Formats: sequence, C-alpha cells, structure tokens
Amino acid sequence: MDEIYSKVVCRENQLNDLFNLFGDDNEPLPCSIFISGSMATGKTLCLQTVLNYLSYKHVFVDCIECYSSKIMFENILSALNDEDEDVKCENFMDFINCLNRLQNNYEPIVIVFDRVERLRNMDQNLLPVLLKLREFCKLNICTILVTHLIFENFNFKFGVREPIKLYFPNYNKEELFRIIFLYQKSFVQHLLNHFDIEDETTELIEKPELFANFLNAFLSVFYRPCRDLIELKHMARLNFIKYCEPIIKGEIQSNDLTKLWRHISPILKTSLELLYLRISDMRQFKPSPGKENSESLYAKEFCLEKTLKDELSSTKTFAQSFELPYFAKYLLIAAYLASYNPPKEDKRLFMKNHGKQRKQMRQIKAKAKINEKLSTQLGPKVFTLDRLLAIFYAILEDKIGLTSNLLAQIATLVELKLIAGSKEIDLDTAKYKCIVGYDFISAIAQTVGFNIRKYLYDFI
Amino acid sequence: MRGSMDTDPLAIQIKLVRKYIKLKLIEDNVLFRGHDQERNHVYELLRRTVLQGESHSALLIGPRSSGKTTLLNSVLHQLSRETDLENDAIIIQLNGLVHSDDKLALKAITAQMQLENTVGERVFGTFAENLSFLLSCIQTGVDRRCRSMVFILDQCDMFCHSGISQTLLYNLFDVTHSQTAPMCVIGVTNRLDIMELFEKRVKSRFSHRHIFIFPNEVNDDDRYDIISPLEGRKRLFVELLSLPLEGSVSPRKKRKSRKSIAKTDETACTSTVFAIPEHILKGKLDEQCLSTMDRAFVSDWNAHIRSLIENEKVIDALEKLCYYTVDEQTFRNVLFETISKLSPTKPNINVIDLTTAIDNAVAPEHRVKVLQSLSILELSLVIAMKHGMEIFDGQPMNFEMILHRYTKFANEHSSSQSVPRPVILKAFEHLQALEIVLPARTSDVGGAAGDASSSRVQKEYKLYTLAVPAEDLGRAVDTFKSLPTEICHWYSNSVV
Repeated sequence: MDEIYSKVVCRENQLNDLFNLFGDDNEPLPCSIFISGSMATGKTLCLQTVLNYLSYKHVFVDCIECYSSKIMFENILSALNDEDEDVKCENFMDFINCLNRLQNNYEPIVIVFDRVERLRNMDQNLLPVLLKLREFCKLNICTILVTHLIFENFNFKFGVREPIKLYFPNYNKEELFRIIFLYQKSFVQHLLNHFDIEDETTELIEKPELFANFLNAFLSVFYRPCRDLIELKHMARLNFIKYCEPIIKGEIQSNDLTKLWRHISPILKTSLELLYLRISDMRQFKPSPGKENSESLYAKEFCLEKTLKDELSSTKTFAQSFELPYFAKYLLIAAYLASYNPPKEDKRLFMKNHGKQRKQMRQIKAKAKINEKLSTQLGPKVFTLDRLLAIFYAILEDKIGLTSNLLAQIATLVELKLIAGSKEIDLDTAKYKCIVGYDFISAIAQTVGFNIRKYLYDFI
Repeated sequence: MRGSMDTDPLAIQIKLVRKYIKLKLIEDNVLFRGHDQERNHVYELLRRTVLQGESHSALLIGPRSSGKTTLLNSVLHQLSRETDLENDAIIIQLNGLVHSDDKLALKAITAQMQLENTVGERVFGTFAENLSFLLSCIQTGVDRRCRSMVFILDQCDMFCHSGISQTLLYNLFDVTHSQTAPMCVIGVTNRLDIMELFEKRVKSRFSHRHIFIFPNEVNDDDRYDIISPLEGRKRLFVELLSLPLEGSVSPRKKRKSRKSIAKTDETACTSTVFAIPEHILKGKLDEQCLSTMDRAFVSDWNAHIRSLIENEKVIDALEKLCYYTVDEQTFRNVLFETISKLSPTKPNINVIDLTTAIDNAVAPEHRVKVLQSLSILELSLVIAMKHGMEIFDGQPMNFEMILHRYTKFANEHSSSQSVPRPVILKAFEHLQALEIVLPARTSDVGGAAGDASSSRVQKEYKLYTLAVPAEDLGRAVDTFKSLPTEICHWYSNSVV
C-alpha cells in the first residue's frame, strides 16, 4: 500500500477515494464512475495502479481508437476473454449477451473508457447504456468514464443514470516541484550520457540542492503560462542541461546561485517561446551553442536544427527565409492590402487625387477606434485578381508589363500557402485571400522599404 | 492500511456491514416503497393477464429513478411467488436503448421466447408476419394451452424514434386487441409527452391507461397523506442503512428498539424489514456470513443510524439534497460513497463524510474547479474574452480580438511577464480543448460570413463564444489561489 503512495505522489485523496469505492473481497462495485480533470493530472495512472493492485478483471479502452462501437465492443470482449477466439459483436444486444456468456459469477469487472468525450459524437444511446451497463447484464460490473471535460459538457439528449463523480484537481506548484524532482536521477543521467565530465563535477551536478534550485527558477518562469506536467517535464529536461553547462565548463561555481540565476533566466525566457512547439526535440541530445562538437555530421545537423529553430521562433526571420523575388514581395503586400482594406477605400488609399473626403473620414475613423472591430482582427476578405493587380501597380513605383512571369508568381505564392486560392489562374473568376499575419507582412515590407501602415485602413 | 487486519473481529464485522449495505444499495431492485395504489393497479393488470388470459396495455410514466422499473420488478416478484409464472406466462423485457431497431427487438423477442430453433433460417416479409408466427408457435406448443405474454418495454419513447412507422409498438398493441394470444404490454417511460410521440394508428390501439408515478408522493396505508421530501429521505436513510436483526429477538431488546424507532418510523419495528430479498443475495453473499454477525453489534449499528438522522447537520445536508434533487439514484450514490469510507479504523459513519458527499453530488462546481486549474495566462484570456463579450453584447469573438484585449492589459501592467504569441495561441487552443470556449455556429455570425468559406477560415479568425457563465468565472477568480492582484482588479473593473 505504501508502495503505491510513494509511486503515485500527490494523489493520496484520489487513490483513497478509488480504493474505497472499489472496496475489496467481491464487494459490489458502484454502477458507474465519472472521472474528470485536466490533462496530465494522473487520472489514468491512479486507475491503473489501483486496479492492478486489487487485481480485478479490468479493461482500458481508449476511445480515440474506437471510431465505431463495433470495434469498441470487440476490443472489450477479447480483452475480457481469456481464451483466444475471435468475437463478433455488432451491437449492444450482442455485447450484453456476450458479457453474460463470458461470466456468470459475481467476480468484479471494471471497464475504463479513457477520453470518453470522443463517444459523444457516436450513437446517441451509447453513453446512456454504458452508464447503466450494470443494470443490463446482472454482473458485478462497473464502467468508469475518464475525460478532461466536466459532466455538464456531456449534453445528453435524454437523461442518464447519474454516475458517481470524482474530480482530479491540477497539481499546484509545490506538487509539480515534488513530481519533477522525482526525475532528478534520470535528468542527471541524461546529462552525463552526453557530456564527458570529470568525476568531481559529476558529484556537484548530482547534488539534489542544485536540481532543486534549478526547478525553483524554472517553475517561477514556466508555471504562469503552463500547468501541463508533461510539457513542463520536457522543458525542464531541456533547460537543465543549459543550467549545468557553466558548471561543467567551470565558469560558475555550483553554489553561486545568483550567478547561475543570471545565466539561466534569459535562456528560460527564450525557451518559453518554444513552449508546446517541441521544435528542439532532436537538439536535446546536443550541447547548446558555444560548445561545438568536432564531428562534422553533428555540427551540420546542429546548424540545420538551429536555423529551423531560429526561423520559427521569430516571424521576421521566418519571413525572410522565404527569399521571395522582388515583385513577388510586392504582390504579397498587395494581396495583404487587398485582404485587409475595404474595397470602398481603395480610391482614397491608392490614388493621388482622391477628392476632399477628409472631414467625413475623420468621423468614420473615430467610430472605428471605439468599435475596436478593426479589419485586421476580423480576418482577411476575399479579393479578385483585378483588384490585386490594380493595387500592385498602385504601390509599385517602376512600371512593368503584365507578363506571364508575374502571373506565375501569384501561382507560386499560392503554392507556398501565403495566399489562399485556386491553383490554376482563371483570370475572370479567380478569388484569393491573403493568409499571412501582420508581423509577417511587415517583415516582408521592410525588406523592400515599403511602409505598410501608411496603406492600411485600420491605422490611418 | 487494509487487508492486514483480517483477523480482527471488528474488521470482519465492518467488512460484512459494508458489503451488505452496498449490496442493498446497488442490487436491490425489488423492494418497492409507497405508491400502493399504482402498484395495485399494475399488479391487478398483470395478474388478470396471467391467470385469466385478458389482454391489456398500459403506460407507466414517471421521472427518472422514481421507481418505475422497481415497481414492475416487485410486482413480478410477487406474482412469481403467488402463481406459476414460469409456465403460465412468458415475460419479455425490451429496452429502447439496447434494442434500438425492430430487427434487434425481434431477435430479442425470439430469444426470450426460446424459439430460436423453431425460427431457424426462416425468412419473413414483414415484422407482423414474424410476430404472428412467433405467437402461433406458442399456441401450438406441447400442451396446446396458450401462455400469456407480458411485454415490458423500458425506455418506451425510444421505440417511437427507432422505426419510422413504429412497427413494434403498432404490432404489439394490435395483438392486444385481436384474440390471438393474451398479452399485456407495459411501456415504461420518463417522458410525459409520450402520447404525442405515438402515431395515430398506434394511439388508437393503445388502451390509454396511464399510470403516473411521481416521487415525493408517498401514500401510507391508504390514508393519502403527502409527507415532506425530507421526511421521505430520512425514512429511506434508515431503511437503506439499517441491518436486519435475525431470528428471535429477545424481548428486552425488542422493547428497546421499538421505543427508539417509534419516534421515526412505525413500520421499522419488525426486525427483518431491513433485509434484502433472498433471491438477490444468492451467489453474492453467504447466508451464514450474516448470522455470524454479532447481534449486539448489529443493534448498535442500527442505533447509530437512527441517531444519525437526529443529528442536525445530517438533517441540514439531507434538506439541501432534497432542495436540489428528488432523484433517488443520487441519494443512493451518496450513501454508497459514505458507506465505502467505512474501515476498521473508522467503524462509524462520519457526519462530515456524508455532508461532503452530498455537497459533491448536488453542487459539484466542477466548472469553477476547471477554471481554477487554468494557468494564469489562460485565465487572463478568459477574462479578456468575457470583457469583450460584455462590450459587444455577447457577439462571438476570434483569437485576434481576444489577443488585442489581452495585450492591452499586459502592456498597462509591466509587472506581468510578456508571453510570445505562439504560446498564447496554444493556451487558447487549450481552452478550446476544455470547451471553455466553443466555436460559434455559422448561423449566429450572419448570412454574409456564414457561407461555405467559414470552415476554411484560419484558426486565428474563427469565431468563438464563451461557454462559462459569468458567475462561475467570478467565483473562480475570487477563490483562485495566488492570483496576481492586477488580474483580480482587471476582472472586477468593468469595461463598460
């Protein structure tokens, strides 16, 4: 028992609840249990440990794998069946008959449905029957529904038998600390595998205090935007290597906490940008910049990774990485302007003599500011090829002819998924939409020295 | 903690108590309380069908877990003791949830009539043909005597949806009018508007016998008095949790128990009243087990239960439960949770356990808990969205608008760490996964934007509505642990 509590930390209450509900010694199980709680709060882990400890007959069904009820039924039946035989089961009636045939004593059976929110889109009668499966098959059977949604999100068309509801709260900061701290050994091992370190520094790194300090610093930055244990663990693993680097190199003493903090805090800030993105997945096996490896393959791969990371980390470099031709850039800008400006205002924005509308304009502008419904927030609008070309010629200083090359570049932009539209250019009916963001387009505009704000209706 | 103390007599007793009461809570679907009139009605119907070969049809209507199925079970149980039910009648139980179409229903009927071999590979044109064949089978049976049929259709409303023409219901009701076989059809449903669901031709064949069962309406010994829901719950509490005292009770003890019970429940005097019907116990609990229970312990336990309902806190909690729901299943779940907490170290029911179980059952506030489990960034987005919806009269918003509001706030408060845009987008997607924000339906957006292209809109510009009520959000913000004060202020400072 104690073993379980030490294995599954910070979930004592939940484990106790489960143990109590399941009871022991062929006690009747509850009809159904509904377990909810955010992602990565140990729902499945707790269930697995408890059921394994009690050694009840149980099945775990991941509803993501079961896109039809037939697959689900057959999975459950074959898992419950000791003998290897193919079970055919089309519907609930067969399922219940099979269950009754499989077993006729009062031995407890538990069926766990993980990610049960997936079943909402399937047959209407599926969940109501699962919730009262016990009534139908006269066995000591219990269905457990596990999901990250709450019970209210399951809008049953006709009511259901109320399950017993359990809620798994998120881990708080201290609990997260405790859990990640359990992985200290593996983190250190991971570090040692990829560096050649003298024994004395190894000792320094293996000190739990060092890791505790690191975790404190880490959580102070990461706890605010992210509470997902899996993600935090992943990021901690990546950053711990960087944290230990100056110690390995002998630049900072391992007990000089302020210096270490100063070293790590900018690194943590930058890696915050990569949260959830998992870009540096492959890079985690390599030393961070400054400690180049001699092997050329290593270095090459490393460079590739690095550029990819840099490109994705800022839109600006990402935009530049496309290396579009000069006219294509202008075309893209024109497309952006066409998407985010109302066609009515084209005359005013792009023509030199647009008449005297100043006064009226100011009123509209004032209205727009209050409204906050800027068109940059509402998303791009569709435009025709004619309009695109008109704006293109208006913003371009030098005059060029409308060649097939130019039109081919539009196709290229579509291929690159910078503009959405049909691939073949039908000059009469083609409609396009610019699907790049403002950051991207302003980076592009900068490279050609074009002030895009001047031509955006929202910003005038 | 558990299992090590098997030899301890108290531990064995407690285990037995736990098991017995759990069985009673979960498995006892025969013992029916109250509603004598309705029960007699159903009993009469079934008895006349079985013994005199009359045909009937009836609808049993009542809200969820008001005891409709239990009533039928108890009537059937009584009939099986009084008559030779097995040879006189065939009972066929169908459930609208399981037997979701006519083919399945026929299969189930065939199976329950044990006619699979007779039917074999025969192919039938219509449902009616098949049914009449089945009926003719039982008529030309071995003893040439017709057995009556009892059809129990649980979730009757589902049979109205399944077939377009409601074939099953039509045929069954039709047979009750023809003289082919004595048949009783009892539909069980929780929909009051069941009659509107019936087709005209089905309706005309139905006998229009409605039997309504409503909770809270306990008529006691023919004096039709309505006791308060709380009183009913208290009685049920004692009935469900008490243990049977077996055998001859010594007069001294009997007097004592009568005295104490008299205050709450007169019917509880007889000692076997709390027992589970025997046929349910079969195979699940040893008969001997129960007799090994210490009599003094049992009477102590019963006294403990009775003392509990005098407890003010328990009464308050039960009152709260009645205030929220009359659903008996919820009540049983609460008791189950409480009982399962019993252990050798805790041999009595803890009042706090009971009250927390009731609180969890009736007002779980899981939504508030979900909101509290969000990271601060995610909560800020929710608040930004709430403000935005306030300004625009609940119009749906897209990510860009929410981001705009959020950055405006974040720029004003330099103390909050700045977070890059991809991370914010990811946080927003997390909110989507938790269904705190839901995609707005295209019809809400208006004709212009609601065309086919709306499915191809980039994710930043998809429109969402907030799916949590403002009250829940407010409570979550109020009780959020270590929430930065500026966010608290931001929330409470109304924008409008």
